Amino acid sequence: MLANKPYYKAVRDVLAANIASGRLPEGTRLFTAAVADRLGISRPPARRALSLLEKEGVLRALDAKGFVVGKTQAAHAVTRNLHLLDLDLAGELTLKVGQASWERIFEQIEHDVMNCSPFGAYQISEAAVGELYKVSRTVVRDVLSRMQERGLITKDRSSHWIAGPLSARTLDEAHEVRRLLEPCALGGALQLLDRDDLIAMRARVRMTLESGGAPTQAAIDRLESDLHQTCIRPVRNRRLFDIIGRSQLANVINRLFGTYIGIHDESGMLSEHRLVFDHLILGDSVGAEAAMRHHLDADHTRARARLKVLSVFGNPEIAAYLVRVH
Amino acid sequence: MPRPRERHPKLRVIGRSEILLEPIRERAKRDLGFDIEFELIDGMEGLQRVVTQPGSFDVYHQWHTIELIWTARSVQAIDLRRILHGDEIKSRAHAGRGNGRLIETVFDQLFLQPDGTLGSKASERIAMLPSIHGVDAFGFLAPVREVVGANTASWGWLLDPRFHGRTAIMSDPVLGMIEAALATEAAEGIAFADIGNLAIEEIDIVVELLLHKKKTGHFKGVWRNYEEAARLMQRGGVVLQSMFSPAVSMLRRNGIPITIADPAEGCRGWHADLCISVQTEGEALDAAYEYLNWWHDGWAGACLARQGYYSTFTERVRGYLEPEEWAYWYDGRPAEKVLNDPLGLPTIQPGESREGGSHMQRMLSVRVWNTFMDEHTYLVRRWKEFLDA
Repeated sequence: MLANKPYYKAVRDVLAANIASGRLPEGTRLFTAAVADRLGISRPPARRALSLLEKEGVLRALDAKGFVVGKTQAAHAVTRNLHLLDLDLAGELTLKVGQASWERIFEQIEHDVMNCSPFGAYQISEAAVGELYKVSRTVVRDVLSRMQERGLITKDRSSHWIAGPLSARTLDEAHEVRRLLEPCALGGALQLLDRDDLIAMRARVRMTLESGGAPTQAAIDRLESDLHQTCIRPVRNRRLFDIIGRSQLANVINRLFGTYIGIHDESGMLSEHRLVFDHLILGDSVGAEAAMRHHLDADHTRARARLKVLSVFGNPEIAAYLVRVH
Repeated sequence: MPRPRERHPKLRVIGRSEILLEPIRERAKRDLGFDIEFELIDGMEGLQRVVTQPGSFDVYHQWHTIELIWTARSVQAIDLRRILHGDEIKSRAHAGRGNGRLIETVFDQLFLQPDGTLGSKASERIAMLPSIHGVDAFGFLAPVREVVGANTASWGWLLDPRFHGRTAIMSDPVLGMIEAALATEAAEGIAFADIGNLAIEEIDIVVELLLHKKKTGHFKGVWRNYEEAARLMQRGGVVLQSMFSPAVSMLRRNGIPITIADPAEGCRGWHADLCISVQTEGEALDAAYEYLNWWHDGWAGACLARQGYYSTFTERVRGYLEPEEWAYWYDGRPAEKVLNDPLGLPTIQPGESREGGSHMQRMLSVRVWNTFMDEHTYLVRRWKEFLDA
């Protein structure tokens, strides 16, 4: 797993691979700052990766003047502009370039927190998070602080990190934000959406509707992602896209309801989705926005009712670092 | 005793211990000719089972859970055409006034609407068959009067330091929170915007006060059902607590003269209704309809009237009650003879009359109905914190 390997080791692997393939030729002088700049990462992991390679004998240290690739003597080391070298930076590192340690685990923890909060209040153990993701307490605190800033978790009087409980008010607030922003984002994205893609997405909704009965969770996930992610994603304003993503709490509730109670009749949701696509395919952004708003309102009503049902559950399965408080 | 016919499997009925009384089961079994099993579910686990295992029961005698169980699709719509006198239910919904007005809330989420939701507009299908309703307040013993004098009863007494260590409250989060909120308002001199739908901060105010009271030993106990409530007053030294009418009958039968308060702040209303599991079909479904029709006919409602519950269709019950019973329980007049409880044991002595008056007067005192508040998820977690403290 990506998250289990320290970042500097991933950097080491990328450098080692480029040396082995000859893209980073023997005799090349390597300075920490230049390597970090070329890879688009910060200096500490670059420095650690270089030291590691030196210990392994892949590089040779050049007294305070960096390293050299291979066994080349200092006198014969060549200084090259690393940016002119055709390095292979695909694979693991690409995913991590420009990504700080906290970012790699943020999404997973956010997912865990969102999925536990409708069931009650949970305390987050910093130590357990660190152990699970093989990161330091500093990184864990960084992640949790950022989650606190976004209002996903809180700190109680004893300074424990607390997730949940997700209240009806939180759901209301998220809905209010979403109904203001998501229809506009959809309208804005319309010009950038491919008509054939839209037709394919509508066909999926129609097929599910026509097949009758209860759709599978996977089918619902696909349909939700079509409308609420794929159709919004082209919007140029990333801030807008991010805020919308964080406000899609109704989807979390609906999904949990499907898991714990089961999926029954989803024809309401399906008809609403279909209506939005009808407007999108006609190029009618005003109609699409209105249909989206209608869908969000109806979905909110469903999610509110479902949240109440989830309230009767005791101890759902959640991540080990989340300890139930109430 | 006639042998039950073999055509039905056993009808499985689940509900609270206050409603599913043994005399009702025996009588239904005898009248209907098939076996009936009553399973008592008094706690939160019961509701959890209803929403997750609808296959484990045929009939659920629900109270204030219809919204949840309908959302969870645990129960199926009842075809009014299969209910004898089903037209009464529709015309009652149309009327919505007069006597019906007091219990309008029963009809708010009764009929299946074309979009699959529940509403008050009459249709041929209902989510539950209305059966009984009532009004609850707290009960107290003579020592309380000695302390409070002739003052009008107040929910604030539940939190009054003068009764430290001698009060109790019920464990149910829905009902308990409503009563605790009524008590908090009175004790702290505050007013909640809508006591039937508290906001998060309001829930916090109530729970913080309860936690403090519990930790300092104010409550002698927290009870789960009427039998526990009765025991607390009989042997536990409790002089003032939340009360259910069956516990009142039980205590009086045992010679403990409990008084039911008619508090200035109003009372807590409730209704209970019959639902059929979404998974019940075939012969079991026929049996379920027969049981519902038997209930609607009035005998069971009359039986429960003897512990103070009102039937939602009163005229169906009247024929099964003696005139003296009707006069005492529904008209609020003094008992003209000894009256028995549902088990046939003498409970009401001649000359006694019911606190709060007649059916209509008592239902008019309802300030708030049992309901799952919008913030129930939050409420139930905080309530658990109180229970665990």
